[in-house]
Amino acid sequence: MPDPSIPSRPKYKPFALVPTARSHLIIAERAEDLPDLPAGSSEAPIEFWVVVNDARAFGAQRLSSGIEITRFRSVTHLLDQLTHRLEREYVGLQLYAIGTEPFIWDISRLARAHGLDRDEFHPTHSGTLRRRVYCVHCRSFTDNVSTTIVACSGCGAQLQVRDHFSQRLAAFMGFQVDAEVPGELPPIEEAYP
Amino acid sequence: MSSPGTLTLRVREAEMISPLLKRFVLESADRAPLPSTGPGAHLRLMLKDGQRKYRNAYSIAATALDNSAYEIIVRRVPRSRGGSVFLHDHVNAGTIIEADFPGNLFPLSQVARKHLLIGGGIGITPFLGYLAHLRKMPASFELHHFCRVEEEETFGHLLRGADGGKVHLHPELVTEFDLAGMLRTQPLGTHLYVCGPEVFMELVLATARSQGWPCSKLHSESFGGAHAGGAPFVAVLKRSGVEIHVPEDQTLLEAIEAAGVEPPSLCRGGACGQCMTEVLEGEPEHRDHYLSAEEHAAGRAMMICVSRAKGERIVLDL
Repeated sequence: MPDPSIPSRPKYKPFALVPTARSHLIIAERAEDLPDLPAGSSEAPIEFWVVVNDARAFGAQRLSSGIEITRFRSVTHLLDQLTHRLEREYVGLQLYAIGTEPFIWDISRLARAHGLDRDEFHPTHSGTLRRRVYCVHCRSFTDNVSTTIVACSGCGAQLQVRDHFSQRLAAFMGFQVDAEVPGELPPIEEAYP
Repeated sequence: MSSPGTLTLRVREAEMISPLLKRFVLESADRAPLPSTGPGAHLRLMLKDGQRKYRNAYSIAATALDNSAYEIIVRRVPRSRGGSVFLHDHVNAGTIIEADFPGNLFPLSQVARKHLLIGGGIGITPFLGYLAHLRKMPASFELHHFCRVEEEETFGHLLRGADGGKVHLHPELVTEFDLAGMLRTQPLGTHLYVCGPEVFMELVLATARSQGWPCSKLHSESFGGAHAGGAPFVAVLKRSGVEIHVPEDQTLLEAIEAAGVEPPSLCRGGACGQCMTEVLEGEPEHRDHYLSAEEHAAGRAMMICVSRAKGERIVLDL
């Protein structure tokens, strides 16, 4: 569960289908994150999109439950296709994202850009709580951060990861910790191993 | 004489635009610029007809570019509480009217990717304000207006303008139109706005919900119909120690105000929640859009602007 000591870290609800939807698009970062939905779970059509990180598993198939599943080679590939899809969708679609924070908030950003509100987009957290860090100096992102201090992937600055999550950037804020005395760092803690 | 928060207006123009519709242009009595309004704003007029007082809210159909005047359109409704009949029969150019500062409970969404407007009859008035704004933006929109065959020309005239394919006037019943089909093919991010008679709005909103539209995308505005009166009853205001007879053609809030008690209120249409009042005894007949179904069932609070008593007596914490 997300850390309750960080007020800006969003609280996520468990996955649940919205009964009033006209169609459902459920997006998962890993195959094991997909919900178990037997045939007849909803009168509205259900689609799964999932990242498999595999060059051979690619394309759409129908599961025995009748759900159509599309496997993507990478997160980048999926996000690119999602933009295209949302541009052509109609009101009545309910969008769900299941995965790590950077993943679900990247999808949230696309959803919001296409006019989806909080009652049309449903993020569910699954997987690691390691953080994506945004460098407030050079604007680079550093992924998969488990410690309280990390070297920025862009400018190399030693960034203190603040307990401040930005939904817009889908990242925690990081600022240079040794700006006054270069090289002088506070103890580094393993916050999210 | 105007108290803080009120405007003193003079009718600059009044004209019949159809047998039942009267258009008024209202300017500030001292010619000072009027408060700015956004699309969807309404103006509540305080009308005095001898001993009777009416407080009727009307959508502002247009605001002059220099804020010198507001325009409203009033439909004559003979079997209502009487405000519209008074405006039709007794208010003409030169009449002075008191009004509250304009409010807005029907604003346009700032994040919509498209605006879908569905109007019925005189429910066109807020959309006239919308159209001016949407054309200026410019923003993607579509308007469907339903009216009686004999009023097609009047509304066609009000809606004139070069909006190829965006403005649709339907001189037919909404039930004869494929509403569900239209609502199924609206692009993601479309916001729906509906204004018109109560049954009309209920039908449009229910159809939208049945097509999977989420609450955040549905906007509606009603004046009049929801508080059109009902059986008379007695209201006891416990803290004030007053007992009031509420007649069938007056709202509970109006009766309370007539008795000299001024509870907080704003929209007078059951939407804003300002006048929520605790019920100590008796059962309310809820007519508001503010309280949830659970709160309605619990019956411990009510919106005194539109709701009434189910029985003969209700005791309020006022």
